[in-house]
Amino acid sequence: MSLLELDAVDAYYGESHILRDLSMTVEDGEICALLGRNGAGKTTTLRSISGATPPQVRDGTVRFKDEDITGVPAEDVSARGISLVPEERRVFPNLTVAENLHLAEVVGNKSNTWGRSLTFEHKGATTEQVYEDFPRLRERKDQKAGTLSGGEQQMLAIARALKQNTDLMLLDEPYEGLAPKIIEDVEAAVHRLNEEGTTVLLVEQNAAAAIKIADRAYVVDQGSIVFDGTAEELREDEETRERYLGV
Amino acid sequence: MSDETQDATAQGAAPSEGVAEKEGFAGYELDTAREPVVVGATALFVLVFPYVFARMPVVSGILQGYQGLATLMLIWGIFALGFDLLLGYTGLLSFGHAAFWGGSAYAAGVFSQFAAESLGFEAGPVIIVVVGTLFAVLLAWGLGFLSLRRGGIYFSILTLAFAQMMFYLSSAPLSGITGGENGFTAVTVGHLFGVFELESELPSVLGTLMGTWLYAFVGLMTVVSVAVAYRILNSPYGMVFRAIRENEQRTEFVGLNVWRYKLMSFVISGAFAGVAGSLFTIHGNYVPLQSLYWTESGEIVIMAVLGGAGSLFGPMLGAGIYLYFENIVSGVRDLTVPFTDIVLLQGFGEYWHLLLGVLFVLVVWFFPRGIWGLFQDLRNRVTGGDSAAETGGER
Repeated sequence: MSLLELDAVDAYYGESHILRDLSMTVEDGEICALLGRNGAGKTTTLRSISGATPPQVRDGTVRFKDEDITGVPAEDVSARGISLVPEERRVFPNLTVAENLHLAEVVGNKSNTWGRSLTFEHKGATTEQVYEDFPRLRERKDQKAGTLSGGEQQMLAIARALKQNTDLMLLDEPYEGLAPKIIEDVEAAVHRLNEEGTTVLLVEQNAAAAIKIADRAYVVDQGSIVFDGTAEELREDEETRERYLGV
Repeated sequence: MSDETQDATAQGAAPSEGVAEKEGFAGYELDTAREPVVVGATALFVLVFPYVFARMPVVSGILQGYQGLATLMLIWGIFALGFDLLLGYTGLLSFGHAAFWGGSAYAAGVFSQFAAESLGFEAGPVIIVVVGTLFAVLLAWGLGFLSLRRGGIYFSILTLAFAQMMFYLSSAPLSGITGGENGFTAVTVGHLFGVFELESELPSVLGTLMGTWLYAFVGLMTVVSVAVAYRILNSPYGMVFRAIRENEQRTEFVGLNVWRYKLMSFVISGAFAGVAGSLFTIHGNYVPLQSLYWTESGEIVIMAVLGGAGSLFGPMLGAGIYLYFENIVSGVRDLTVPFTDIVLLQGFGEYWHLLLGVLFVLVVWFFPRGIWGLFQDLRNRVTGGDSAAETGGER
């Protein structure tokens, strides 16, 4: 059983048909990359998994830990253990760093869990562990998140996801707009959280950087999967790379 | 902010972390340290305000304030405070808060009549406030449930529509209860705690400072309101409100049930409006039909934005300024050169709406964080502190 299974998903933004019969799986414990050009349907795939609307999933199923989560609201998907770190401004810029992190714990508060038929158990990292992993965040814990640099904000978003009860982390273009040096830091952070047992689905346009850390890769084009294999295979498959990724 | 000061604060904070570590709360503590200061300052202000405003030599002569207006300012201040929980902290613009203000005012009035005529006792101010607030809470629950189905401008329009329905309901179909166009006149307010006549003077120094028991009661409710609002806003619950204001969808991705928190923010805000509306009835012994009209909803928006939405005291300040213009500036007959009889502009007071409008536009243009935000920036400049954007700032 795979951790996450998408089976023949068709997703729409209004009338436009974005994902066409898209099927893919993410295995427990791996780093899986989902690559493709701008507009290929990468972000739509992540949004379909995380329960965000739009898009509308009109056909096909999304299964997580063998449970059907198609059409489940975003806050419930999150509570089941899928964290989405969305593209661009991923933090709450006017909350302090400490507050951003603390939000993950508020999720377990009675005011949020009451009356919702989900089990909330706090299995995520503690703030202390997160601060050990990202000492920069401890230094800046009383600063507003919006004043952090792009790389630090990315770290904060990952740190918050770590604090949540996360089995599967969806990272949407984590390298976008970051300097190569910072990308290395983010890579290290992704590696670390993967080693700690979190499965990662990584969406990137920067295919070269993504292949470097991924175990397996999918290439998506025009809403369908056009390549499925190990990162090694993709590295050697020059034709696919040139045709769909331009590298 | 230089790097040295950053390091210093990081180190300075380290010992307190050790205490909170075990619960996994390290690095985040409720900001309750300032709470006694905030509540104490509010109490002090409430204590001396009517004296300075209405009775103090020279100052009160310049301000031309009077006791009744001081009370009214606090009442609207409570309303504005609650409104800001919704607008400034959760980021929802309700254009129908007159429903809770007027609704609770009517509920308070009708209850006092019912108690006096059918139950045979004069309801005291405390129970009137409780009844009015309960009514506002239930109403806010219902209207919030219906209005919050849509976001943005549609939410605002829905609240406006529901409030106007309330207005027309009480103007004609329910005029048997509400008194229709004439307003509700049969308000009967008993003594505070069954002992103190509201209009009577407080004993000794308190009488000089605060004047009447009515003011003392309103003042107490103001202090309680500020304390409650401060506690809510600095709790994790209030943090969720602020997260929602910044980005609803991202808050959902974290796993928080945004709908529920929005509804609660609406209800809490309605509760504050309910306290204020009930006090308004007690203060005026009368409920005008106007209290449900959409202009009241507009006024509270103006007050909040003028004073500074998203801060605790800004909207209260805005309420004070608005009422000052409405009641004092409007009464100035001629504008003269100070300390002379040379008339610059005749019938000056008639222009108060225009003046307030100009002030509003200027504030929105130059100080988007309102007059309170301006004060904060000035203070930060004087003390050399960081701008509010960088530190925690006003929360």
